[in-house]
Amino acid sequence: MNLERLPNEEKLTLCRKYYFGGFAFLPFLWLVNVVWFFKEAFVEPTYTEQLQIKTYVKRSGLGFLLWVAVLTTWITIFQHFRAEWGEVGDYLSFTIPLGIP
Amino acid sequence: MLFVPVTLCMVVVVATIKSVSFYTEKNGQQLIYTPFTEDTDTVGERLLNSVLNTIIMISVIVVMTIFLVVLYKYRCYKFIHGWLILSSLMMLFWFSFMYLGEVFKTYNLAMDYPTVAMIIWNFGVVGMICIHWKGPLQLQQAYLIAISALMALVFIKYLPEWSAWVILGAISVYDLVAVLCPKGPLRMLVETAQERNEPIFPALIYSSAMIWMVGMANPARHAEPTNQDTGTFCLISAYNPLALTMLRGVKLGLGDFIFYSVLVGKAAATGGDWNTTLACFVAILIGLCLTLLLLAIFKKALPALPISITFGLVFYFSTDNLVRPFMDNLAAHQFYI
Repeated sequence: MNLERLPNEEKLTLCRKYYFGGFAFLPFLWLVNVVWFFKEAFVEPTYTEQLQIKTYVKRSGLGFLLWVAVLTTWITIFQHFRAEWGEVGDYLSFTIPLGIP
Repeated sequence: MLFVPVTLCMVVVVATIKSVSFYTEKNGQQLIYTPFTEDTDTVGERLLNSVLNTIIMISVIVVMTIFLVVLYKYRCYKFIHGWLILSSLMMLFWFSFMYLGEVFKTYNLAMDYPTVAMIIWNFGVVGMICIHWKGPLQLQQAYLIAISALMALVFIKYLPEWSAWVILGAISVYDLVAVLCPKGPLRMLVETAQERNEPIFPALIYSSAMIWMVGMANPARHAEPTNQDTGTFCLISAYNPLALTMLRGVKLGLGDFIFYSVLVGKAAATGGDWNTTLACFVAILIGLCLTLLLLAIFKKALPALPISITFGLVFYFSTDNLVRPFMDNLAAHQFYI
């Protein structure tokens, strides 16, 4: 899929769909949105739809950073307190390391 | 241009094989397509069983291919779409879940279900979007390479030793037949698609240029993008692959990626040392080179498997049995050449 060959309205629709899709617990989708449309939103010379694409890209970026913060916090908490939580820790664990409490 | 993705796929497979022991452990479980066991008493029986396994596997592939061609001919597009989506779903979610689990176990890391769920959910959904709908080209290529690597790893784990080698040989022959014979299923597929001047269905193709919708079929795969304005050169491989040299780029079917990686992966798993693996890797790339050359000369659908797999097999067996003992002996006697 090459963005250059698309007309501007379609670029906007695509960006919008990616933005709304990211709300389904998909920070990766937001990241893809930001990276893919970054040039379109900030580097290309102005065109009508560019302002809206810019807003979508910025919001996707914010959303992604928010998710990164949440996930980092959760992972840190889990890795640190897993052993102490006993049963709950085991229940939550997908893999349990051997040899370490 | 195809060398980078093929190399990447093979590197991923070899790296996994060498580090995650899960994919080299044989626990007696086999695919239903290869029911005969190789745990036999005599060499003759083992050989017989591997040949029988191959016959069954190839027949399954032939039946699937013909079924797909028939479906395509009678325009049952919805069925094909559904099948492709189902198989890519399985690949992207289930197999990557297994893979992630094994990697965590190998490196002895703790991981919790919520995080894993997030990772797999994101990986899978974005993969489905990139492959079946619209997404950035590089991401699509990366996903296709990832899927091929996962599939190759599954084959390496579940195919018994000798059967795997015989199957590789047999499928190259089938490829040759299916693509070049006038009544070959894949040839008919290409011709029908060209008559109708349409992209057949989302299929398993890696393209170094864009435009095509790509998806996946499992186990029978077909690649068949037809571009309305250009290109009619194709490299087809029995198990699906189809490569089109268009003015802009080359396309190679994912089945090709998979079988190349299976060959190199098996060489890494059972071949002794890195000499064998590297030899197979080089052999496959040389084969790919030659195939692309032939494509430029003949300008029509060509099978991508035969030349590379033949070279790969020859190099594997000769390196393993001739070069390796030779090098070991030289090293043992401190004789440098």
